[in-house]
Amino acid sequence: MPQIEIGGKTYEVDEDGFLQELDKWSKEFAQGYAAVEGIEGELTEDHWKLINYIRDYYTQYGIAPMIRKLCKDCDFKLKYIYEMFPSGPAKGACKLAGLSKPTGCV
Amino acid sequence: MKAGKIRLKDIGKPSDQMVKLNPADFMRLPYPYDKADSDPDFKQLTEDQKKRYEASLDGVLAISIPKPETKGEEDELVRKFLSGLEKLLTKENNWTFLQPLSLSLEYCAKCQTCNEACPIYTGSGKQEIYRPTYRSEVLRAIVNKYIKKGGKTFAKFSGNDIDLNWTTVARLAELAYRCTLCRRCAQTCPIGVDNGLITHELRKLFSQEMGIAPVEIHTLGSMKHLKAGSSTGLMPVALKDTIEFLEDDIKDRTGLDIKFPMDKEGADILLIHNAGEFLSWPENPMAFAIIFEAAGLNWTLSSDLLGYDAVNYGLWYDDVQFARVAVRHAQIAKKLGVKKIVIGECGHAHKAISVIADRIITGEINIPRESSYTLLEDIVCNGKLNLDPKKNDFPVTLHDPCNVTRLMGVVEPQRRVIRKICPQFREMEPHGVKNYCCGGGSGFAIMPSMNFPDWRTRISGRMKFKQILDAFQDVIDPSINKMVCAPCSNCKGAIREILNHYNAWEKCGISYTGLVEFIVNAMVDIKEPYIEWPEM
Repeated sequence: MPQIEIGGKTYEVDEDGFLQELDKWSKEFAQGYAAVEGIEGELTEDHWKLINYIRDYYTQYGIAPMIRKLCKDCDFKLKYIYEMFPSGPAKGACKLAGLSKPTGCV
Repeated sequence: MKAGKIRLKDIGKPSDQMVKLNPADFMRLPYPYDKADSDPDFKQLTEDQKKRYEASLDGVLAISIPKPETKGEEDELVRKFLSGLEKLLTKENNWTFLQPLSLSLEYCAKCQTCNEACPIYTGSGKQEIYRPTYRSEVLRAIVNKYIKKGGKTFAKFSGNDIDLNWTTVARLAELAYRCTLCRRCAQTCPIGVDNGLITHELRKLFSQEMGIAPVEIHTLGSMKHLKAGSSTGLMPVALKDTIEFLEDDIKDRTGLDIKFPMDKEGADILLIHNAGEFLSWPENPMAFAIIFEAAGLNWTLSSDLLGYDAVNYGLWYDDVQFARVAVRHAQIAKKLGVKKIVIGECGHAHKAISVIADRIITGEINIPRESSYTLLEDIVCNGKLNLDPKKNDFPVTLHDPCNVTRLMGVVEPQRRVIRKICPQFREMEPHGVKNYCCGGGSGFAIMPSMNFPDWRTRISGRMKFKQILDAFQDVIDPSINKMVCAPCSNCKGAIREILNHYNAWEKCGISYTGLVEFIVNAMVDIKEPYIEWPEM
């Protein structure tokens, strides 16, 4: 299993960099991983709003929220999410939120 | 290595990589992608990944088999392959597909007519190992040498003296995932040899006898489907939340108060969507609900485990997994007491439950199954909705999912719908039963790891992208919004990735959606446009 090192801590990830265990996630992980995902500098309040929303939804329902719901509930346009997370909500935001890779025909 | 210089027995000769893919060899694309430099480099695996996994076929990983640590482990895997192959060729172990498999193994005349029909072979620039007959000829040579009596002596004279070692087996496993099972080769064969079926049977051998299958299709696919209720991981509690959201969203977008009927006993229709629609394309199940309610149908969804996810990934690689899911779908419908199952816009689910499952959904659990396409045709063409085609006045082309068109022959119903409500409809060429695969067939659309998506978009989906561009050449200017209608979740996923990779919305104004979205977009009573275009 591949590993990545962020801020002196080692995390197990899959071949595409998705964290394997949700409970190993930390704010440092998200911040440290941001640069890899093409996000410069400190994560903003809006970044955290989205990350926390995704994590809360996942904790409650065991799945990432659909993008349409995420946009509506956070009051973000999809275009703005792509500006914040250049690899997009599924590949970028969910990765920083510590979720595993989406499965099924999505 | 150049195409044409590879021989069958090279598959058993260890080397770092049997074939190196070079984008300069790939089939040329039409304008505005006709310059070689618009095709960036092919994504390579990391050195570390190559060290850990068997990637010596073409440097691409679909199934990622970990490298055995000892020679003993390798020998054991080869032994398992051979015993699995023997089982595949006996009636008691393969009652499902032995006859067509034997016929296809015995009777290929090697005329190679099928080669030109294969979008992967032609799209790759005619890579020898992707020839639809290459894989089959390797398997045939192994059967002839290692299973038939006196085969080893004969093999020395035949020129096809393949060494069945671990390299051969590992490469053959990957090669079983360089074909989308679109079966265009079988369609064109003058004597009906089915190389797609041979690929399917190989996948089955690897899965059922050796536990080798892509993780997305097996562990995170059919296993997750059986356990969580959906391969997406959507559990009943999340489905409930999702449906509530869809009801609110319908209200916001159309003003309509629609309640999705759930688990309604005795309804005429149990509609089963591919659950990916709920998560990635919620406008699709919303549109179905709007249409079914407006047409006054007595229908329901199921919230039972598996009852809300029509997928059946076993179709692509494992008969046992296939049967488990198919039987469950039929049982759920029986329990609800519905008159029939209607399959949403999912191609492989059509094939799974209405054709292949015919031999297991028998007796008490036998229940009529219908395509949503024919039902929609009845609704649209028999005047059950008030529709205004002028609301869809933009160029539209139609993608044919292989499983619904080539396999089942459902060609006209979806066209009658589109022709009636899309005044600027134009066909791709070829289309209908002669269509080309989206490139995502047989599970490829849901395998997003390492460099496999790159291979899919650049090679297996290449012919489809060419067809889409050709269909829109007269209106290719990005200021003209154009839509690809792809009535299948898997195809939509593959086409989405192709369009994204080539920035086809920004460069050509091409987007994609399903079939029902056009119908709702044309409904006179719905004031706001239902079809949404990507944000610039």
